Amino acid sequence: MAGRLAFAAGLAVTAGRMIEAGTLDPMPLLAAIGALVLGGAAGWLADRRTARAEADVAGATLAALEARLAGMNVRQLQQRARGALVTGAARHPAALARLVVSHAATRATMGLGPLLAVAAIAPLSWEAAAALVLATPLMIVFFALVGGLIQERADAREAALGRLAAQFADRVRALPTILANHALDRETQKLQARIGAYARGTMSVLSVAFLNSGILDFFSSLSIAVLAVFLGLGHLGLLDVPGFDHLALWQSLFILLVAPDYFAPFRRYAELYHAKAEGAAAATALDWVFAVPEDGAAEPATRGQPVPDAASDAALQDFVFPAAGLVAITGPSGAGKTTLLRRLAGVDGEGRAELRALGRASWIATDSFVPAGSLARAIAWNIDGCDGEAVAAVAQELGLLDDALLPGGLDARIAAGGENLSGGQRIRLAVARMLLGHGPAFCDEPTAKLDADNADKVRRALVAAARSRLVVVATHDAALAALARHHIVLAAPAAHPMKAIAA
Amino acid sequence: MTDLAHADRIPARSSIRAERSERSASTGRWRLAFFLAGLSLLAAILLTSVSVWFLGAVALAGAGSAAVSFDFHTPGALVRLFAITRTLAKYGERLSGHAAALTDQVALRLTVFSAMANAPATRAAGWQLSREERLADWLEDVEDRDDERLRVQFPAATLAFGFLLLLSATAVISPLACLPVLFFAAIPLILARRGIRRVGEAEASTRAARRTGSAALGAALQALVPLAAEGLRANEIGTALRPLHESARLQRRQSDMLALLDLATGLFGPLAVTAVLLAAWHAGARGEALLPAAFVGFGWLALGEAAGALSKIVLGRVKAKEARAGLVVWTDGGDCAAEAADRSGIFVGRVSLVGLRTATPDGRPIGRPLDLTFQVGRPTALAGISGSGKTTLLKTIAGWLQPAAGAILVDGREVAASGRQGLVHLGLHDAAILSDTVRANLFADGATDAELHAALAAVELADRVEQGGGLDAWLTQDVLSLGEAQRLALARAFLTKAPVILLDEPTEHLDAEQAVRILARLRAHAADRILVYSAHRPPLLGDTIVRL
Repeated sequence: MAGRLAFAAGLAVTAGRMIEAGTLDPMPLLAAIGALVLGGAAGWLADRRTARAEADVAGATLAALEARLAGMNVRQLQQRARGALVTGAARHPAALARLVVSHAATRATMGLGPLLAVAAIAPLSWEAAAALVLATPLMIVFFALVGGLIQERADAREAALGRLAAQFADRVRALPTILANHALDRETQKLQARIGAYARGTMSVLSVAFLNSGILDFFSSLSIAVLAVFLGLGHLGLLDVPGFDHLALWQSLFILLVAPDYFAPFRRYAELYHAKAEGAAAATALDWVFAVPEDGAAEPATRGQPVPDAASDAALQDFVFPAAGLVAITGPSGAGKTTLLRRLAGVDGEGRAELRALGRASWIATDSFVPAGSLARAIAWNIDGCDGEAVAAVAQELGLLDDALLPGGLDARIAAGGENLSGGQRIRLAVARMLLGHGPAFCDEPTAKLDADNADKVRRALVAAARSRLVVVATHDAALAALARHHIVLAAPAAHPMKAIAA
Repeated sequence: MTDLAHADRIPARSSIRAERSERSASTGRWRLAFFLAGLSLLAAILLTSVSVWFLGAVALAGAGSAAVSFDFHTPGALVRLFAITRTLAKYGERLSGHAAALTDQVALRLTVFSAMANAPATRAAGWQLSREERLADWLEDVEDRDDERLRVQFPAATLAFGFLLLLSATAVISPLACLPVLFFAAIPLILARRGIRRVGEAEASTRAARRTGSAALGAALQALVPLAAEGLRANEIGTALRPLHESARLQRRQSDMLALLDLATGLFGPLAVTAVLLAAWHAGARGEALLPAAFVGFGWLALGEAAGALSKIVLGRVKAKEARAGLVVWTDGGDCAAEAADRSGIFVGRVSLVGLRTATPDGRPIGRPLDLTFQVGRPTALAGISGSGKTTLLKTIAGWLQPAAGAILVDGREVAASGRQGLVHLGLHDAAILSDTVRANLFADGATDAELHAALAAVELADRVEQGGGLDAWLTQDVLSLGEAQRLALARAFLTKAPVILLDEPTEHLDAEQAVRILARLRAHAADRILVYSAHRPPLLGDTIVRL
């Protein structure tokens, strides 16, 4: 900004003297170019600093998010909508950074820029400077007149655009269902009518919203026009206004060049409306990351899953877990088998000390984590010191090498998140992986999604593992429960208030 | 029935026609917007130029006796005219440009939607875009593509217009300055070219990193319990977020490159005006003769201000390019057959599978060859564990997937996949609820209210819908529980007129007794149709069971 003003001064002096006095002074010209280069360099450095600050803020936000995701109560975290969380993690930190860095910086220059411009003009003609300052209240009055309207309309516009995107997104999401119900033509027409209507509505809103920048354009254009005429009349000696007559050409040129800079920062700020709205939305969405963790009571009850702590605690009161052996948790649906298993494994709460002492646990369920890559990699994932032969052996044992639906043997491709695996395949993979580990194993319905052959393989594997390790299974499978040496039987749940329409 | 099919196809054509007429409407608006943009830029340049020329002229006149006779009214009026023109033209340009862009947006979205509907991937495996994070990525692509004309082509064309105009003026008034002006303009242009390449690379990496990170984070959150149990939660979440950190870093590199471009464009206007003035001076122009040079020179200064948008143009172009690459998967599907004619209402006695083997997504056969016949009045349950290919078989019969081998006969005649699509009502296991009314969600446009109510009663949703505000109440996916959504999807099966009803896991999310009640009603209701369903639970007594 200062660089720009200095260049304007140098250029005005040079051009003014060239035209008026017919002399070319190298000094002001060199000074002007020097100021230009220095100002440009300063602006460039400031831009880079802004970019770095934005990256830092985004990084810090991600780090806070990471800490929260890694540390917060599993139950509470499971209640957050996963899709929204992932979408937000990829976008919100950057939007927040733009709000607190770029947007804040622009707001600061909005205060400083006009002051600098006025300060530069004042020594030449304080009257011209005063005219600019006096134009500001006029501009503010204009803003106030349409301001409320603009804000309201602009919000309405954001909302309309949001709805437009939502309608479209919804139909894309539901596309297979639409095709299955032979409703493509109907939905295409509906989509056309709806997004067409939103587009028209948006236009009527935009026509008002653009008044915002229109006013700023108007003032900066008009300031040039009015100043040019006044300064011209002053030169001709036709006007006796102090501050506008008896100026040298370079002085009036300078005033003319700098005047628009008085309004430019306002305009730049107005253009950042989007960044502001996005940043504010991101800040709201990320609120929970920075909120003080409040575990327990304040959270809403877990969806659908009663937490029969009392029942399981009673069943466990004098149960001592052995260091090795198969323990079966049985009981009717809803008795809290999974809940108990989660507590034992330390997913919810601390877990039991005697179990923690047994080493790193394995968890076997249809939602077991499967890394992308090959089958061999998925089996050996996070298992220390296992060789290829051992991996092949356990894969063979669980029938993963000759699975027609997972061709390729140990090199079979596993998609990100194990998306190409069925529930049964995931279970067998998790069991194979468990066989390579050493700690206790917690299995949630390990045979439920399997055909007879594979269920048998899993049972045998669990029994084999239980010879040297603790294997706890929560199961409905009588055959599996019969193999267990220890039993925890949970009673049927007391009548839990069900949701109005059971899911 | 062919009449019915024909009637169904007409709206499709009319919608295409509407799309075309909207396109041509947008062309007119774009022209207007371009004209106004040019006018506004011209007025901005002239405002500065004429003001400077005027001040120079009056300063020279004021010194002599010409002061009294100087006509200051004309330039004064011109300056005011340019100021008003610049403001109004800019406002008009914004309105017209956005109107055109919105019109294009409507057309583009419909085109993309139709292309997606026709793409084989839509009917194939699990619908990826039903997942929020994928959908968000994809929508961003559509938006970047929407914006291209408004944010890239349009300002670039306006700037080029202003540049050529001033360059010709410079060539006339001070030809010597053309060379340095071209040189000073070449620097930002070269930087912009390089920027498009390098910012483009960074943008591609950012997108890739964001996608990897999102997928990994989604997977880690899905496996939250196992990871927590195994003590790997912090580890895996950290790994998942690493690409997102990387994408923040890449964005910084992008900003750095654009800052360099901003620096170069910022220098252009001032250097150009200096060059023009010096060239005129060098050519011997003094006093009044310098005024034209000042006129053109300060015009360059005004253009330099407008050129500040160059970095935004580069960024917009890069994003649009990536977005187009992302969308080409859908829009480049060639001329796939449009939706098959809906041939509901005709009678089909039996559907036979002859040596049929379904195929994996990469085309390899699954399981043993199947020889089966499904008959009217003999509902069939496909049983088998998850992953045994029940969904694949149903989709193959429905004509959504190609079999690896064998044939599917309808009443003894082989019918191609597209033909079968029209005969079948396919109840997907992940059927979606549209954000729309209950009525629209039932997909039975010809049905009476009484029929709709009867179907809702059959799936035990009548009370729920009544409480929720009736048939015209607005529904969204999250208003309904999984069980309610499943039953609403089953109500669609009650209302369909298709001769073949295929249902994938219709009892999922329902409690056992309710599932039995609803299926029994459906069996009675569709006694004159072919009914096949898959179930991992024990199916209804009396239904034929096929084990996969």
